[in-house]
Amino acid sequence: MGKENKKFPIVIVSIGIVIGLLISFISAVAVHETSDKNFCGICHTMQPMLDAYKMDVHGGAGDHGIEVKCVDCHLPHDSTFHYLITKMETGFHDIYAQSFYDLEKIDWQEKRKHREHLVYDSACLACHTNLKEATMSNLKSFTGHKAYFSGKSEKKCVSCHENVGHKNLGDYLPKRNMIDSIKEK
Amino acid sequence: MLKKYMLSMLTASSMLLAAHVGDLTGVKTIKIDRNMSKVAASCIECHAKTSPGHVNDWKESRHGHVGVSCLDCHVVAKDNPMAGQNCDGMKGTDVYISILVSPKTCAKCHPNEVKEFQNSGHARAAIQVEAKDSMQKMIHHYEGRDHPTLSDSPSATGCIQCHGAVIKVKNGRPTAETWPNYGIGNVYPDGSVGNCKSCHSGHKFSIAESRKPAACASCHLGPDHPDKEIYDNSMHGHIFNTEGSTWKYDSAPDAWEPGDYRAPTCATCHMSGIGSLKSTHNVSKRLRWNIWAPISKHRDGGNETAAHDYMKSGKFTKGNALAGNIKGSDAARSEMKQVCKSCHVSTHTDNFFKMADKHVELYNTFAKDAKKMIDELKAKGLLKKDIWSDEAFNTWYHLWHHEGRRMRQGALMGGPDYAHWHGVFEVQQDIRKLQGIYDKRMKTGKIED
Repeated sequence: MGKENKKFPIVIVSIGIVIGLLISFISAVAVHETSDKNFCGICHTMQPMLDAYKMDVHGGAGDHGIEVKCVDCHLPHDSTFHYLITKMETGFHDIYAQSFYDLEKIDWQEKRKHREHLVYDSACLACHTNLKEATMSNLKSFTGHKAYFSGKSEKKCVSCHENVGHKNLGDYLPKRNMIDSIKEK
Repeated sequence: MLKKYMLSMLTASSMLLAAHVGDLTGVKTIKIDRNMSKVAASCIECHAKTSPGHVNDWKESRHGHVGVSCLDCHVVAKDNPMAGQNCDGMKGTDVYISILVSPKTCAKCHPNEVKEFQNSGHARAAIQVEAKDSMQKMIHHYEGRDHPTLSDSPSATGCIQCHGAVIKVKNGRPTAETWPNYGIGNVYPDGSVGNCKSCHSGHKFSIAESRKPAACASCHLGPDHPDKEIYDNSMHGHIFNTEGSTWKYDSAPDAWEPGDYRAPTCATCHMSGIGSLKSTHNVSKRLRWNIWAPISKHRDGGNETAAHDYMKSGKFTKGNALAGNIKGSDAARSEMKQVCKSCHVSTHTDNFFKMADKHVELYNTFAKDAKKMIDELKAKGLLKKDIWSDEAFNTWYHLWHHEGRRMRQGALMGGPDYAHWHGVFEVQQDIRKLQGIYDKRMKTGKIED
């Protein structure tokens, strides 16, 4: 009995570690598996975004075929905590929206105007790490982003790079001229 | 001998011309291989042949030096309402361009300049014309005679060249009724507002150009706001006209200071970063009064709203007639005085503004009395239905819109001939004329024949 008592905590801790590792593994797999076009494209609402993405350099249409995942742009990359929290929030929102929204009524052309809230600068800069270090030898990168990196502009990456990630997205979304949708209001 | 002399004169004058406009004839073949994609370089190389004027401007520009290519400003997404592929070199590619380049594009590299501009009175120039029924009626009915095919010409040849237009596009090309124009408040089909090219003409976009009075003078002239003439009449203009051609106009922003010039130009006082002041593209920021309105008030309304409202809601509004410094009209005046400080002692500046302010207030007394008469005539039905054939209305209009503006603007910008002879003298004549008509109509209860 005495021996068993001594072993008991070790067994419990071991089981705990195994369960913990298992949960971590499942979570990691879940986080990973819900990150790219294969998962995000399951719902039909995302089809236009997916089609336009595939035509874009970010979607593999570039010379080198590099493909970035949806979440590489659409989740913040400033901290793991912020990343996971935002993933949960947006994930639950999407499930709710898919279940209860009148999906036909969503004006996606209008939503494009709110792109600054849907794409994170920290995400862009997680890959485009050299942009900040651009020098006069790459004049356009240097002059074009000077105001941004010196903190003199409130613009986000996608304020200027309007169509980044989804080439000619407007052609894939239901036809609504941007100006018309302004005027309808 | 004469032949030799003529020949040398001809050579010298053609060299002088070439020094000013660049060598248009020489631009035959240009090869670009620096900081530019193949397609961007091909625009330049081809247009050097087909439209050398464009390329010549560009190669003299700062843009040319830092490798900003045609494509960087003219390329748009395929679904942009301004997108076209009208150029042969582009057909069949996935490159789409727009003839029109809106401030949205300029803002990619010059975000603060565009933002400041959109906070300024300049930004409502076209939108307010669209929003005011009286202006629309003036342009299309009175001036355009509601003509089925000709009624758009007053606007296209006149109004929009300074105010800007709501630019319409057909098949990727802007319509003749709305473009070309150099108006400052253009509303572009991509939803953005303004026009950088009004002051920095394309394709050179020169800072030196915009610092010279000529940049403002293409609009701020004439009977209703002779600001260029007032400047010429002022001591500032006197000095500029004497030796302005020798001054330096291309110092870096915020560093263009006395020494580069001996007297200010329009830009110096209204925009430039002189002394400890920051430069701004908000031309309303240093103004205490609104001296264009029928009755002048202090500019305490904050920022201009028309462009922001349009970009948010797509609605045309009259904007903010009291747009100025967000800290108020006193802050605006003290910023303006900071400009003066670089060259004048404070007694000079304080005395100048004290009397100029009085002249504005004096004008207001005329305007209030005149407005009262017009309002009474209107209330009693003693104004003609066609107001532009009514002498009383016409006199009132000229009192505030022409003579009254000259009186106030002449005073505040140191142009004595405009403050007085073209200003207050005419205003007192106007109000006497109006008084006569008013008395007669009130007495008889009838509009004279």
